[in-house]
Amino acid sequence: MILLLALIMLFPFWWALRTALSEPRSIFRDTTSLLPAEFTLNNFARVVGLVDSAQAVAMGGSGTSINFLLAMRNSLIVAVLSVTGQIFFSALAAYAFARIVFPGREKLFALFIAALMIPGIVTLIPNFLLIRELGWMNTFPGIVAPKLLMAPFAVFFFRQTFLSINRDIEDAAKIDGANHLRIFLRVILPMSVAAVTTLAILSFIGEWNDYLWPFLVGRNEDVRVLTVALGVFRSQTPQGAPDWGGLMAGAIVAMIPTLLLFLIAGRKAVDAIQFSGIK
Amino acid sequence: MRYERARTSGFIAVLLILSMVLSACAAAAPAAPAADAGGAAAAPASGGEAVTLKYVLWDTLQLPAYQECANQFEALNPDIKINIEQSGWGDYWTSLQTSMVAGDAPDVYTNYIGQVPEYADKGQIMDIQPLVERDAVPLDVYLPKLADLWVREGKRYGLPKDWDTIAVIYNKTMFEAAGIDPAIMESWTWNPIDGGTFEETIAKLTLDANGNNGLSPDFDKNNVVQYGFIPQGTGGAIGNNAWSHWAASNGFKFQDALWSNQFYYDSPALAETIEWYRSLWLEKGYSPGLADVTSLGPQALMQAGKGAMTTDGSWQINNYVTGDVDLGFGLLPTGPEGRRSVTNSLADSIWTGTKHPEEAWKWVKFLGSAECQDIVGKSGAVFPAIQSGVDEVLKLRESQGVDVSPFFEEASEPGVTFYNPVADNFSTVSTIMDEVMDRIMLGEVDDVAAALKTANDEINAALQ
Amino acid sequence: MVVTAKPAPNVQRSSRLRAWKRSDTWAAWLFIAPSLLGLIIFYVVPFGRGLLISFSDWNLLTPAEPVGLANYSKLLADATFWRSLWITLSYVVINVTVQIGLSIGLAAFIARFTQSVWVRGLLILPYLLSNVVVALLWLWMLDPLLGVINEALMAIGIGRQAFLGSPQQAIATIAAINIWRHLGYSTLLIFAGMQVISKELYEAGAIDGAGEWHMFWKITLPLLRPVLVFVLVTGIIGSFQIFDTIAVTTQGGPANATRVIVWYIYEYAFVRFEMGYATTLAMALFLILLVVTAIQMRLLRAGESDL
Repeated sequence: MILLLALIMLFPFWWALRTALSEPRSIFRDTTSLLPAEFTLNNFARVVGLVDSAQAVAMGGSGTSINFLLAMRNSLIVAVLSVTGQIFFSALAAYAFARIVFPGREKLFALFIAALMIPGIVTLIPNFLLIRELGWMNTFPGIVAPKLLMAPFAVFFFRQTFLSINRDIEDAAKIDGANHLRIFLRVILPMSVAAVTTLAILSFIGEWNDYLWPFLVGRNEDVRVLTVALGVFRSQTPQGAPDWGGLMAGAIVAMIPTLLLFLIAGRKAVDAIQFSGIK
Repeated sequence: MRYERARTSGFIAVLLILSMVLSACAAAAPAAPAADAGGAAAAPASGGEAVTLKYVLWDTLQLPAYQECANQFEALNPDIKINIEQSGWGDYWTSLQTSMVAGDAPDVYTNYIGQVPEYADKGQIMDIQPLVERDAVPLDVYLPKLADLWVREGKRYGLPKDWDTIAVIYNKTMFEAAGIDPAIMESWTWNPIDGGTFEETIAKLTLDANGNNGLSPDFDKNNVVQYGFIPQGTGGAIGNNAWSHWAASNGFKFQDALWSNQFYYDSPALAETIEWYRSLWLEKGYSPGLADVTSLGPQALMQAGKGAMTTDGSWQINNYVTGDVDLGFGLLPTGPEGRRSVTNSLADSIWTGTKHPEEAWKWVKFLGSAECQDIVGKSGAVFPAIQSGVDEVLKLRESQGVDVSPFFEEASEPGVTFYNPVADNFSTVSTIMDEVMDRIMLGEVDDVAAALKTANDEINAALQ
Repeated sequence: MVVTAKPAPNVQRSSRLRAWKRSDTWAAWLFIAPSLLGLIIFYVVPFGRGLLISFSDWNLLTPAEPVGLANYSKLLADATFWRSLWITLSYVVINVTVQIGLSIGLAAFIARFTQSVWVRGLLILPYLLSNVVVALLWLWMLDPLLGVINEALMAIGIGRQAFLGSPQQAIATIAAINIWRHLGYSTLLIFAGMQVISKELYEAGAIDGAGEWHMFWKITLPLLRPVLVFVLVTGIIGSFQIFDTIAVTTQGGPANATRVIVWYIYEYAFVRFEMGYATTLAMALFLILLVVTAIQMRLLRAGESDL
């Protein structure tokens, strides 16, 4: 049973690697062997931009020069910026909702919750127009802006977490003259490391994998993220077959950061994901 | 209290710094696009400063040649830099229009005649007629009709760069194995009823696992190992390299004239053709199913040695001659109304939103000149719009021992070539036809004529 | 000493807390300000703007024309819209039911037979990949002629399947691809829910002579309800908005068999550039999700009482 499970979960990874390590022309001839058909590293050389267009065609690729390393840098910038921004600001707001009594609190919180229910596609078009009017098309601020200041789910999630923290410690801090910011930074945040990690991992996965938004506002190569680059790479050949060798090499390059995250923080990641549901 | 205020002001400072960092990002990040956004007020080439033009095309096979053109152009015009971007056909037009909407479209873009109405209507293509007149650009260097294809109601939307026709691509080894002399292609025929000698050839080239060919009574159509013909997908609204040549040689025409809003997809000539086309895989087993073709691509199937013949355009020659499989080119068969092939021509157009119209025009002129077209010809990627460029292609192919003459024969034989349909709101036509063609070719529809009639009525109603 | 000293800090404490409260309101607003700004700029205003656009015809290049409710009446008569809704619904049903069913089984299996983090890590692996990458992997493996899965099916005598190329199979195939990616995620959530259930309940059950199967039905499932509701709610809302996988694999085809609602909206917005009708469609999706969520909120409330 576990073996079967491992097969189902892992085989696609192996098959992608096997294809990425095969000579593009042999992929068509040898469709079944479990080992690479004519081993080569050319596909990887092509996707990380080590060869030019003409050489790529000679290697049997699509000739499109898409620089996946650049795209990976862009993805990292976008994901790290959005994750840190949205977690910090959301937690800040969540703290106010959980710990400070002020007029209009419930109504304001309800507004945040209401935003959770708006499907992405509804705000997508007007946001696209907004970014256009700001002149932020094909810029990092354009890609990051809508996610930087908050995520409704994060506000909701952090509020739940903060509500469950014992108030005594805070009260003690207040007596020592600490203000809210200090309490937030020194007491609440350190006590919520698990929640922050959970959300950081989840939203990193989410932002790293986001496709439609960056596809619309970040098409230029200098800001194009990995998912978009892969999509563009896929639509290269009008009538020919997709460049499977190159695509799979690109896919593997795209996996690396999240897989690394997983290897480094494997146990944490598993716990984090489990944790997010019980809250 | 004071302590607290100091704290909060510290917090505000953090916010301020953050917002400054953000706006700094906003200012710094868009290296290339912001350059012209910032220079919105700047007039064309204010001397000294180098101007960067963005140029897009979709075909990777042509990219190296046009890069070479750009290098030459930059050498001649040191104050202009050309930045070529390539985006695949799959999202070329969506991408282009998104960038027009976003206000940072390429200054010059590769254009296809079918897209002209849409962009002209929205004011996104510059009328270059005044510039052509001002600079007295010689239009007679182009092959006949190519330049004027881009004129509508006195406005000129581009300078032509190439042309193409459709021919049969065949696997030489498979012909030999089946004992078929390629000379048959000089005289073969096609009709929608029994497919003529063309279908007979297809049948002979189709082999099942037991080695029986398509004409044998023992032929097992469910166990085919070599297909006689690889279809080029559903073809959608234009059937470009898929069925337009069969349909036209059966007497079908899309519309009375280019730009007409009346379509004839309900013509029996088309229905018959489509019936025959889809029977190749739905009934006869001579072709792989549509799903196989669309997911893999006909070229891959040809190169994998899964099929003996297909039809494709001259812009794809490089893709067929680079593989390991030995492929040749032959004439399309003669149909009831003679031999017909679609011809397309591409041009380079200027975006109305360009900040540098003069430089863009200079680049377009260069792209349309013999200088650049000879370079393109030498690469063999396409047939240029100027004869000297075409001669370069011929020289190249001769040296490679590849005979591409069928493409020329069709182009020069009178009455063979015709154009794809052009109309305002053609995207509506496409949407309707794509769907119905999908259903027909997948065998979801029994009555082809009725389905095409319904679609045609819908189209004509929508275009009125 | 100790006794007399005690009241003093208390007095001091309450007066300090009161002083503290006065500045609270504006501190709270300051804390909320960045998020609120984000909420207003990127959710509230766009929502209103979307609504406004839906009353016009606008291709973004030429000025918008007000058309009143024309887009909405077009929507009601748009057979393609209703069909895409139906396609979306069938996707949601397949995706959510199969995924939750499998997840419960898997979670129970893991809880019973192995506590290994590695097994759970293995399960979660696909979730780390983007929809785009996952779609590409499967597109390649499911290829009708060259795909390894068809080669395997041939080898065991089932024969080739078109999968994404067949109007009948496409939507189920896309559901299967997404289930592969999300299975580990929902399994982990459910597994975590199982861990919270007190062991004593099972011990008591065992003493009463209840079998494992019986205990699963009588103890595990009812107590899992809150987690199941969470997985269900997020699953349904997410599935309604399926887009990435379709954009990479079928692009709405073949014969529009996978033209789900978000893909349809995308086509209108960014292929045909008819923003008015696109936003109208988006508003319709919003209403539908609102109704779905309202129904689920009931379930959710029911779920809370169980915990």
